[in-house]
Amino acid sequence: MAMTLTIERVMAFMGLDVLVARDEGLFEAEGLDLRIVALAPDEMRSAAEGTPDKPATNQGKLMARGDAEMFQA
Amino acid sequence: MVAPTSTVYTPQELAGKPVALDYGNGTAYAGLQMLEGAMPRAAITTCAAATSPAERFAGLMRGDFEATVLQEPWITVAEKAGCRLVSTTFFHGTWVAAPGVSAEAYAALLRALRRAVRRINADKRRYVGYFIRDWSTHSEVTSLAPDDFNLGRIQLKEPGPIPEDEARWAWDWMASWGLLHGAFDATAQIDRRLEQQAHELAVI
Repeated sequence: MAMTLTIERVMAFMGLDVLVARDEGLFEAEGLDLRIVALAPDEMRSAAEGTPDKPATNQGKLMARGDAEMFQA
Repeated sequence: MVAPTSTVYTPQELAGKPVALDYGNGTAYAGLQMLEGAMPRAAITTCAAATSPAERFAGLMRGDFEATVLQEPWITVAEKAGCRLVSTTFFHGTWVAAPGVSAEAYAALLRALRRAVRRINADKRRYVGYFIRDWSTHSEVTSLAPDDFNLGRIQLKEPGPIPEDEARWAWDWMASWGLLHGAFDATAQIDRRLEQQAHELAVI
């Protein structure tokens, strides 16, 4: 049975390797069912809402509530 | 990056001028570190910018601020529009795992990523289309061709454990900006047992 792992959405800027591995079947070849989840648009906060010492970030939100197991910071 | 009409050519010349940063993101921290390398902290002047590099590029072109941080494919978009790089840096994304992640699943992820990095580094031009695909609703990006990209800016490294020195430096630097509080504690921040197991299993 395949292992499963759920990660927060990545983009090519920091996650090109993830996207290529997904599209070229490299996770599947490792027996890993990799699932990629994204925040709903209405849950996204813009960094423009933050301040230098109180930044607004979306990273880790899904993991914090148990909807993802890993994220890239 | 600065707009085509900017008189700024070096990071030092950004002293006292507004630099738009997407606070809370790696690009913002990289921007702060670049500025810090060029001037005393008191001369660093920043303003809040959107998370989306598309909005930061638009703000740069409107003249909302003197400079901002951009990543690919928006550096390429901005350069095509006549904008100029005044400083460049690189950083790694760091994987953060929930406590329940198994070493086996983590290792499977790492092995697949390692193979992907090798494929990409062997033929970067083949894969730059991913940067375009991410922004398929933005005509500035979809009008780019793979040959427009400077491949020297596409840098990928196979995943590895975070060196403790680097983790401590990052913590101390963030604490110096008031973003973290307390002293760095490697045992509290990094599960070395899981990390070591996963990376040992991930050797290919």
